[in-house]
Amino acid sequence: MARHRTIGPSALMLGGAGVIIGVAAAWLVSQGNPGNMGVCVACFNRDIAGAFGGAWANMGGVAYIRPEIIGLLFGGAVAAVATREFRPRGGSSVVLRFMLGFIFMLSSLIFLGCTVRAWLRLGGGDLNALWGIAGIAAGVVAGALFLKRGFNLGRARVLPRPVGWIGTGMMGVLLVFALMTEFGSPAGFVTTTAAGARATAEGAVIQGEAVLRPEDASLVDGEVVAADGAVISPAASVEKATPLPGGRRAPLLISLVAGLALGVVAQRSRFCTMGGFRDLVLVRRFDLLFAAVGLLVGSTVANLVLGQYNLGFTGQPVAHTDALGNFAAMAVAGLAAAMLGGCPFRQVIMSGEGDADAFVAVLGMIAGALVAHRFVIASTGAGLAENAWPALAVMMAVLLGIAFVKRERLA
Amino acid sequence: MVEVDARGLSCPLPVMRAKQALSAAPDRLVVRVDSGTAKANVSSMLADEGYDVSVSEEPDHFRIEASRT
Repeated sequence: MARHRTIGPSALMLGGAGVIIGVAAAWLVSQGNPGNMGVCVACFNRDIAGAFGGAWANMGGVAYIRPEIIGLLFGGAVAAVATREFRPRGGSSVVLRFMLGFIFMLSSLIFLGCTVRAWLRLGGGDLNALWGIAGIAAGVVAGALFLKRGFNLGRARVLPRPVGWIGTGMMGVLLVFALMTEFGSPAGFVTTTAAGARATAEGAVIQGEAVLRPEDASLVDGEVVAADGAVISPAASVEKATPLPGGRRAPLLISLVAGLALGVVAQRSRFCTMGGFRDLVLVRRFDLLFAAVGLLVGSTVANLVLGQYNLGFTGQPVAHTDALGNFAAMAVAGLAAAMLGGCPFRQVIMSGEGDADAFVAVLGMIAGALVAHRFVIASTGAGLAENAWPALAVMMAVLLGIAFVKRERLA
Repeated sequence: MVEVDARGLSCPLPVMRAKQALSAAPDRLVVRVDSGTAKANVSSMLADEGYDVSVSEEPDHFRIEASRT
């Protein structure tokens, strides 16, 4: 009788990668990134979307070309080229992959975090993430059942070499815009949230002692006062003003290098935050679960060491306490990720490996972010937005529709 | 010998197809994949199932050969 393992040597590599990414994410928070958001592929692609479409989509508070995303994709490309795994490929249900990326982003912005940040939030003590993780498990298991019944987006083909470099090339362009902003001559069409800016419940935006919005208001005795003397935000509200996520960021070079390093780690280890639940159901293999567990362990320990751990449901950074909303949003996101064949982190890495379809999914995510903010679907710390539930219902229906239509007749 | 062509398929289909092929308990199995991830995942699954695995690089894909004695 042959030996038979359900946990193999790759569990160690995936768990190690999870720990490294979890520790790095917690450290990036200590360097300036938003709370429990050292690395978040949904949030950071959203911020990139905000940098270019912020004015149209009311995204002034979440606009910044996140160097982590650029670094991750570059890291994936470097590692793939170095190990002769760079393969230009694509052409497998391109439009559907765009839609799946789009849906993944919308649902992630209802939860407030992707499948990576869900674990990082739990690693920071945010217990609301438990609902999100339960949702991911439910969505991914549903996706696994569809895969079992023959769901398949079709084969990708080998593409001409330059096509495989499109994702990397576009990240190069983003890096140029990021550097222009960093060195004081931003392109006119790029929006960047003011560093360290905070918003009051009434919508005033303060940076240090200056009031950025409304433009003619000023800070008098701790209150935001309009030009005509009317009080916009009382002192108590100013005191409780919350930081705008886009204004919280680690220094550009740190973010870029960290992204690059994590991109290499993720490419080599095949790190994925969705595959664990899927493989458990589908092929009875546990290795990929270690990626998510590693992420949780690494971020929990690092957050405790750095004094950033805050256990509880309330007062969590960039989070809300709507349990059902958290669960449902991540069930949709988990199903979308399972149908894409990898979590958003992996889509970014595969974009670097030359997978044009994965990059299309990333573009779908960016487009989804604009729509989520323009049409009041993205949540805020206060809770779900007006259109969140209708959007979730429509997205779930679309996913089920795709899952039923894209079925291969299994002989 | 059993052959599986998993080129161009997204995760986890290459692993699923390879595992499906194992139900016939072949002594030799060849799986063709075209991404590094599929190469790694299929190889480790076959190793975990007790096969000796070797990978060779073809012009536009990876050829995974598994055998057991």
